[in-house]
Amino acid sequence: MLPFQEQIITDLVEDPNGGLVVLSSGLPVYSLVASLLLFHNPSQGSLLILCASETQKASISGCLQRLQQTPNPILPIDIPGDLPSHQRTALYASGSSIFVTPRILIADLLTSRVPPSSVAGVLILDAHRLSDTSTEAFIARIIRSISNTAYVRAFTDRPHSMVSGFAKAERIMKCLYVRRLHLWPRFHVLVCGDLERDAPEVVDVRVPMTPAMRGIQQAVLETMDACLKELRKTNKVDVEDLTVENGLFKSFDEVVRRQLDPIWHTLGKKTKQLVSDLRTLRKLLDYLLRYDAVTYLKYLDTLRVSEGVRSVWIFAESSYKIFELAKKRVFQVLQADGVRISNGRKIMVHQRSVTRGSVNVKEAENLKGVDNGVFLEEILEEAPKWNVLRELLEEIKERKEEVLSNQGNGLVGGANENNDLVLIACKDERSCLQLEECLLKGPHQVIRQEWENYLLGKVELHSLKKRGRKRSQDPKGYGILDGSVARSYENADPTNINNLENDALLVVASEINYIDKEEAATGDESQRLATVKGYTKGKSHGRSKKAAKQASASRYKLKKSAVKDKFDKTTLETAVQGAETNFHSERDLQGNNLIPSSTCNVDNSFIQLHSQDSRVSEFTETKPVAHIHFYALEKNEPRLDIWKPTVIIVFHPDITFVREIEVYKAENPSLKVKVYFLFYENSAEVQKFDASIRRENAAFESLIRQKSLMMIPVDQDGRCIGPTTLFEPNPAISLDLPMKKVGCKMTTEKEMRVIVDMREFMSSLPNVLHQKGMKVVPVTLDVGDYVLSPLVCVERKSISDLFQSFASGRLYHQVETMVRYYRIPVLLIEFSQDKSFSFQPSNDLGDDISPTSIISKLSLLVLHFPRLRLVWSRSVHATAEIFVSLKSNQDEPDEAKAIRVGVPSEDGIIENDVRAENYNAAAIEFLRRLPGVTDSIYRSLMDGCKNLAELAVLPVERLAELMGGQKPAKMLREFLDAKFPTMI
Amino acid sequence: FSTVSAQNRNAILVSHRQKGNPLLKHIRNVRWVFADVVCDYLLGQSSCALYISLRYHLLHPDYLYYRIRELQKNFKLRVVLCHIDVEDVVKPLLEVTRTAMLHDCTLLCGWSLEECGRYLETIKAYENKPADSIREQADADYLSCLTHALTTIRRVNKTDVVTLGSTFGSLSSIMDASMEDLARCPGIGERKVKRLYDTFHEPFRRVS
Repeated sequence: MLPFQEQIITDLVEDPNGGLVVLSSGLPVYSLVASLLLFHNPSQGSLLILCASETQKASISGCLQRLQQTPNPILPIDIPGDLPSHQRTALYASGSSIFVTPRILIADLLTSRVPPSSVAGVLILDAHRLSDTSTEAFIARIIRSISNTAYVRAFTDRPHSMVSGFAKAERIMKCLYVRRLHLWPRFHVLVCGDLERDAPEVVDVRVPMTPAMRGIQQAVLETMDACLKELRKTNKVDVEDLTVENGLFKSFDEVVRRQLDPIWHTLGKKTKQLVSDLRTLRKLLDYLLRYDAVTYLKYLDTLRVSEGVRSVWIFAESSYKIFELAKKRVFQVLQADGVRISNGRKIMVHQRSVTRGSVNVKEAENLKGVDNGVFLEEILEEAPKWNVLRELLEEIKERKEEVLSNQGNGLVGGANENNDLVLIACKDERSCLQLEECLLKGPHQVIRQEWENYLLGKVELHSLKKRGRKRSQDPKGYGILDGSVARSYENADPTNINNLENDALLVVASEINYIDKEEAATGDESQRLATVKGYTKGKSHGRSKKAAKQASASRYKLKKSAVKDKFDKTTLETAVQGAETNFHSERDLQGNNLIPSSTCNVDNSFIQLHSQDSRVSEFTETKPVAHIHFYALEKNEPRLDIWKPTVIIVFHPDITFVREIEVYKAENPSLKVKVYFLFYENSAEVQKFDASIRRENAAFESLIRQKSLMMIPVDQDGRCIGPTTLFEPNPAISLDLPMKKVGCKMTTEKEMRVIVDMREFMSSLPNVLHQKGMKVVPVTLDVGDYVLSPLVCVERKSISDLFQSFASGRLYHQVETMVRYYRIPVLLIEFSQDKSFSFQPSNDLGDDISPTSIISKLSLLVLHFPRLRLVWSRSVHATAEIFVSLKSNQDEPDEAKAIRVGVPSEDGIIENDVRAENYNAAAIEFLRRLPGVTDSIYRSLMDGCKNLAELAVLPVERLAELMGGQKPAKMLREFLDAKFPTMI
Repeated sequence: FSTVSAQNRNAILVSHRQKGNPLLKHIRNVRWVFADVVCDYLLGQSSCALYISLRYHLLHPDYLYYRIRELQKNFKLRVVLCHIDVEDVVKPLLEVTRTAMLHDCTLLCGWSLEECGRYLETIKAYENKPADSIREQADADYLSCLTHALTTIRRVNKTDVVTLGSTFGSLSSIMDASMEDLARCPGIGERKVKRLYDTFHEPFRRVS
């Protein structure tokens, strides 16, 4: 452990009450937690670790293992959701360290399953997410109230999230009842000293972007700027925060949302769209540097479909440039004589005269396009970093050989030279896989593969569209909708160059498609032949198969060109006929091999195989260093300690990872570490990297200032917590109802109880109810969310929930059951404190009664359920007050009864376990949204198969059995198997 | 209100008490006439509404209670239509809520007179409308069905749905995809992959 880490621990342990630690991102928060766990002594009681994600758990356990250095290290115990409650109690009492989710812990605390003296303390990770209404704060409060000695230690390595909002750090400390704030920025003297004493050697490689990339970046930034300007015009946001630099970060959305949230419901569609557009644009900027040209184009295509007409930015002038340039990175439409069609007017005239709509005409057009001599030139721009990476690796290899030869000469090399792992760090798994391929096969092969996939997608679309058109009379047919809609937009576009382009694409695509189909037929044969010819190089199966595919492919091409010579002027043919056009450039080599013999024979395919093979092996040889590891930063599991790389190539620079490297180096001073950063020159990447450092420093400066001004009440250790506001007399309410006055007085004497559904612990209402001094009884409810009395049952809906569950029809069902089982069923519509208290701006109302408006839906609901009571609440806190007032003349609810309500009796035993944890909630929700699955059916489906993957392959007969009918089963099966409408 | 003529059956009957209420200007999609009714607005055979503005309630806290008591038990649906026209709503709204609740009234809130008027119009117009539009709706086009289902998984957005669909071809293949295949889709990050995969592969019930 480094000296500064020891200092952090010492500082933290000093206060028996605990504290809040804020670290620079990338500093080793896990090893801190691990060493705290190491110091933990079971005799003090158990140590509870809250809100650790799976990867965090793994990292902490990993650190702990390394720290303990024993074969049987003591690791924290993970409490799974399905552990019976008595076993959980035993665990809490055991004094070990335990990972537990807040939801389980709060339920156990409320039901007194945690022995009060058994908790030594609580560790909370990701403390920046906390607020005074979050469950963790609830837990902290209860723990403080049951134990005098327990501490709360909270950590976060996201300083910039700690300064969003007013005095956030102070409020978080208050809600955890801690008094000490420990700040550990990277620029802290101790941290600096430790990390820079023996800093790793850093090489900053600036890779120039291609002109097209620069163009796209420029265009995206311009579009972003335009969107920001537009947003400023609304006069609803603070202009200062709205800069393109801020726009590069995810937190930008948060800033804008925070400013707009209070009035979000009153905003027009356009403003909302602008906010989401900015998000899209940021992604585009990010992906530009991360994805290869073809994938980027594909992503843009998808965007065009999914964003479609709604987006503002797609219609901005510079966005046209984005699409154009992205296309140019991949292909170009050329005329036969090699002149690029800049406007394509001539051809357009022909095309426009043709009436569109029928399949035949479509095909005729297709040919016409080709007849006119239009074809596609593939450009397939490779990512510049790819080649730089290869060069780097070669350089590293050379360097290593040098060192080795030096050693051979008797000179002493590095201490640990035989461990020469090269680590390449990318942003995501996808880039890792691609880079790996890149090193294996060469960049060109990789991009070609992507290209072929892209084209195959297009072919599928085309055939589908045809089918779609045929069925277009049938309004219910899947697949027509988006494909043809997008199409018709393009048709309406005056520059019909799009059509040309599409046709050309389709021609190329269908070629590849044929080839693939043919491959299935001829693949075996050629492979057999290859074996006969004694082709027995020790290549992996997959690779030789691939070579075979290539061989048969080109063979087919030849056959085809011989037969259809006059008729087809396809692009492919051009390639075969005139190798000089540098068309299928990648296959040039093979083409030259093949052209002399125009018939297809065994020799040919052998040559083909051979040449292919030599290509492959060439690339394998160029893989210069034996140990290359790829690491996806997104995975977020620091592995540097385990792999111990000596060379680190940071393919996608990221500030957190830089810090991790620094710490790794500082922890291993004997190791020689060399770090290469690959930046695109003048790119958003550089900008983002620099800005993230600035942003973090600014955050810390602000935190330091806050700390110096912080007012911490003397009793913030939480030793005197009690129910606060409940017993204040509330004369207004009693005045209102003269006749009920006596009842009021009587009931306030005893403790108020509210029965709360387990699932509701996701929300903050149970916490606030407890703050108000109510006893919260967590159980699993089938009907309603809260039971206030034997008569009153409440279904709580936040505004977004309300809209959603109206749309899905769930609300109707929920109200229906509630009305069935309770005398006073209540629908609570809860607005959020920091958002406006209204549904929509009044000018959005429209002149007519619209069936989709929330007013119509609510009206319909109250018409159908006249017994349903609506409660409108301004905020969580207002809800708590309403509950108190509603309960004041009612009996206390009975939990045993509440649990049984709505549960079919054959369901059998009702256990007091945390049921919400025991269900795959997302899967169930997903299931319920599938067509044919109704509220009465989904349970039997859940019984009938284990998970969704299993459901996906059930035959229709079995489904019919489970769903109790052919019709819904067929509906579901058809939906599952329906071909996705591919689209351009 | 025994004098209700057949001609007026399709109209909202408005109490003379409401004369001068600017709300009346906003009832335009449904006919309305003044009549002698005990409630403020008679919306149907057995449904009625009382109108109260929060500002008025602050001045006359007992008004609503006495009005509700006048209604007696003659209506199935008794709406208290509350116009939110004050800034500080929490306390007065709590009182109105409580009164409405204790006396079996359904509380509807409008933030403008237009909105309040629209509630009255809609309840009248929808008097005999079935609840289909708020029940689970069956048919929609394929893509929105798919989007509806897949977006239950946290963070999965519309673009992801298109990406997944066009990569795997059908929902059943998406549900059957391996983690690696999912990770290959552009725009789908590590965490989304895991969420997707878990949703499809974790058992519905985690306990055996």
